[in-house]
Amino acid sequence: MSDREARWARVQDLFHRAADLAPDAQRAFLHAECRDDAELRADVESLLAGDAAGTPLLDGSMARVAQALLPDARTIPIPEGTFGPYRLTRVIGEGGMGVVYLAERDDLASVAAIKILRDAWLSPARRERFLFEQRTLAQLNHPSIARLYDAGTLEDGTPWIAMEYVEGATLGDYCRRKALTVRQRLQLMRAVCEAVLHAHQHLVVHRDLKPSNVLVRDDGSVKLLDFGIAKQLDRLDGPADATRTDLRLMTPAYAAPEQVRGTPVGIQTDVYSLGVMLYELVAGVLPFELADRTPGEAEAMIVAGDAPRPSTRAGRAYASLSRAEWDDLDVLCLTAMHADVARRYRSVDALMRDLDHFLAREPLDARPDTLAYRAATFVRRNARAVTAGSAVLVAALLLVTFYTVRLAQARDRALRETVRAQRIQRFTTRLFEGGEEGAGPAESLRVVSLLAAGAAEARTLDLEPAVQADLYGTLGGIYRQLGDFARADSLLGMGLAQWTRIAGPGSVEEGRASVALGDLRTDQARYDDAETLLRAGISALSRSRDQALALADARVALGRSLTERGEHARAIAELDTVVGTLRARPDETTELLDAMGELASAHFYAGNYDTADSLNRQVLAMTRRLFGEKHPRVAEDLMNLGATEQERGNYKEAEGYFRDALARTVTFYGENHYRTAGNLVYLGRALLLQNRYPEAKEAFERSLAIRERVFGPNHPNVANTLNELGSLALRENRYEDAEVAFHRVLDIYTKAYPGRNYRTGVASGNLADTYLYRKDYRRAEPLYRDALATYIATQGPEHLNTGIGYIKLGRCLLRSGRFREAVPETERGYAIVAKVAEPNVSFLQAARLDLSIAFDSLGDPAKAQRYREERERFLPKPAP
Amino acid sequence: MSEPAIDPEHSPATPPGDPSDWSADRRALDALFSDAYEELRRLAATVRKGDPSATLSPTALVNEAWIKLSDSPHVAQTSRLHFKRIAARAMRQVLIEAARRRQADKRGGGTPFVTFDDSMAETGTAADELLALDEALKELARLSPRQAMMVEARFFGGLDLQETAELLGVSEATIVRDWRLARAWLASELRTPR
Repeated sequence: MSDREARWARVQDLFHRAADLAPDAQRAFLHAECRDDAELRADVESLLAGDAAGTPLLDGSMARVAQALLPDARTIPIPEGTFGPYRLTRVIGEGGMGVVYLAERDDLASVAAIKILRDAWLSPARRERFLFEQRTLAQLNHPSIARLYDAGTLEDGTPWIAMEYVEGATLGDYCRRKALTVRQRLQLMRAVCEAVLHAHQHLVVHRDLKPSNVLVRDDGSVKLLDFGIAKQLDRLDGPADATRTDLRLMTPAYAAPEQVRGTPVGIQTDVYSLGVMLYELVAGVLPFELADRTPGEAEAMIVAGDAPRPSTRAGRAYASLSRAEWDDLDVLCLTAMHADVARRYRSVDALMRDLDHFLAREPLDARPDTLAYRAATFVRRNARAVTAGSAVLVAALLLVTFYTVRLAQARDRALRETVRAQRIQRFTTRLFEGGEEGAGPAESLRVVSLLAAGAAEARTLDLEPAVQADLYGTLGGIYRQLGDFARADSLLGMGLAQWTRIAGPGSVEEGRASVALGDLRTDQARYDDAETLLRAGISALSRSRDQALALADARVALGRSLTERGEHARAIAELDTVVGTLRARPDETTELLDAMGELASAHFYAGNYDTADSLNRQVLAMTRRLFGEKHPRVAEDLMNLGATEQERGNYKEAEGYFRDALARTVTFYGENHYRTAGNLVYLGRALLLQNRYPEAKEAFERSLAIRERVFGPNHPNVANTLNELGSLALRENRYEDAEVAFHRVLDIYTKAYPGRNYRTGVASGNLADTYLYRKDYRRAEPLYRDALATYIATQGPEHLNTGIGYIKLGRCLLRSGRFREAVPETERGYAIVAKVAEPNVSFLQAARLDLSIAFDSLGDPAKAQRYREERERFLPKPAP
Repeated sequence: MSEPAIDPEHSPATPPGDPSDWSADRRALDALFSDAYEELRRLAATVRKGDPSATLSPTALVNEAWIKLSDSPHVAQTSRLHFKRIAARAMRQVLIEAARRRQADKRGGGTPFVTFDDSMAETGTAADELLALDEALKELARLSPRQAMMVEARFFGGLDLQETAELLGVSEATIVRDWRLARAWLASELRTPR
């Protein structure tokens, strides 16, 4: 022990012994112990003085220090810098991570709320979270969710976002100030639920729902705010991933047990918080008295979850509802905030349904489903009628009436469901449409849980054939979009049969069902069936006056079917008619947009790239008018424009379009969305065609990782990316890699598309290429012939792919020394490709080279020379 | 007990440049640091508003942070106590950073404030006091590392008596004695202008 340590030990010892003595005794003690050591005595005395005085800082709570030191909104300077077109005027609040300012935009005389990440310097993790909120808001587009206007970064790196400014009171204040009735409060909560549902449909869980995050305007419209700790789910029907490092504490009063415990959260976490909000709004108090509890006690209460029934705590408000209504509200609130996730409402949708039931005075879904309960409900709702008449008669009447009423209710409810389901269907249709994603994603996506609910609904409605037929159609359509053709087939088939029975042959309903099934037949490549069904539908729909838009949709479906089977001229004729008819209408409709898009596709596949391009430009302009600049359809249109440039051989231009589209898609859907994966493939292809292999490889690999995760390993979309990776491997002379990739592609396509499909042709052709490079002509040739036959059958004899198929077959024959057989194939391919592509595309150059070699070998140097010169003319010019 | 990964002299708060070159540990600590900051801020706000629904104390805050982070690979290998000690350091660091900024603002004049009120004066004092405490704690660490660590754990990390005793491997009675001594020492140190 050093002297210093020994001395310090001595000081401590004396301090402890002296500390609790009375002042006089203390002095005597120190005098006796320290004797002449004045320094020792001074040290101990100084400690004793410190002991008596204490340190206000240490004796206080750290929270007070934090409060004083961490600047709040009142003391935060208005940051300098440029916020796009906005000028900050004042602080309006503090959000989770940032300060919110009111900002004015002088050029448009409008206002916005600008949120700035506070103390951005502190840590990159906070920055990431802030940017995540920005992306989340960009994805959500709902009248009850504050919109994102703009975003940027200040010079010092501080990020900011500009959003819709909402002037209103918080939900709690609004209800109190306006002295709303319980019913009015439930109506408001229903609107909040709709906003949350929208977020869930975009796989966003809010995680911090509470009354202060909901603003209500004077007109009663609500806005959901603060997605600062929201979470993006991979899928809707599962829990969020288990990494919770970014889960900031939410207000404990509204936190679900799984949040308190730290187990994974999902959409039902939001359901819980909505339940607490409901409870608070109807009872006037929070379900748990957490104020005087220790954190441990508070946690235990939330996890145990036995909140008293709201009716027992409503106080004076109790009188405003009947006993029976309170019973229902108790069930509703406590089901929503059930501690056991399995016994909670499965989705916000289910919660909303019971809110609707309550408001419509119908039995709740959450109620035990017994006749006794239902009859009791009915009595309650019709109390006055029941008091008259004899008990027996009442009981008998009751049951009869009950069933009648119940049926009518079931039907109404089912119709509402159908409307909702159709909304979902439109939404998912948008989601999955688009050329190479035609097969749709695997069942892992969000729709599955919605479908399960819908199917259950359909089963319970076996007494109402019309509603059931409707639901079959809706569900079948969704399964079709999901690529589950077998299930779609059976559901759509049942729907059609049922409509024929109920509404009769030739009815509008049967017509619509025919169109739906016909559309599926197109996907199944059963084109004759498709045409028969679609034409039957068109004929039924054209007999009705008010089915103009449905008729247009049916014709677009026919056009698509004809395009897919390669009958481009007929497809174009059909679609031209539809576009003409829709253009004659006074309003621009999405049907017109769809029709023009389909017409552009038809021209594209027919190889009429100029027409396709000009149509796509019109489509883009119209999309911007109808949906605005930020809508993801803009990105889709840009992709189509890029695809056209790509096919024309303008790779640089194509790359530009693809990059623009990709940036928009990432902003809207995020880095790891399957749509991002789709865009990456196109971009990678444009890079590959410019010989920028490492960049291309990176794009493809990013895409493959996303697609394998989202769709599973055996999905056509995975094949699509693998095909590109195979092509790249081929170009880099990695033949084995290429063979593995193309084999997998061919396997996937063969299984996914029984019968002929041009994709199988692409796969065979590419696999053949790897054999060609390895001089294995015997294995290559049959594959090339197979590919060519497939192209001719599926895309038509004049299609670009057919042309390429001929050129490739020719090359294989040439390489195996069969020059005389090679020439007619190559020449035929050359003629086809020359018609539809720019004269300098690689396939034509390859054909020219092959032909010059073949004619040389066949002793026709003049012809050989002609092709050689032509080839040289189109060789890339060296840079000046 | 090994040294915690955060050294208060080398704040993890300002990692410039490319985040890709951080290790996973570094990221986990950054996440912890961010959480500490967010929670402190929330705590400050609830104290300010007297929000009755808030039940959080520094203890709860650190407990929650542990629960949240315990799945991350870095933290999973860390004992709850060790983690709490790291969290306490993060809290201390956040507050010191804030106090330094406050002093810099005061000296630099700088940007105009949105509104003025007398909380500014109070803030100045708190910043000075906290920085003084920080200095004194460093001094105490030279004299008696265990006592300095104890103050950090109890004040900034909200560890209770039992946890502090376990963390430092001493009896609770020793902690009680040490706390009184350290408090007295810091008080005398802070009273003496240096």
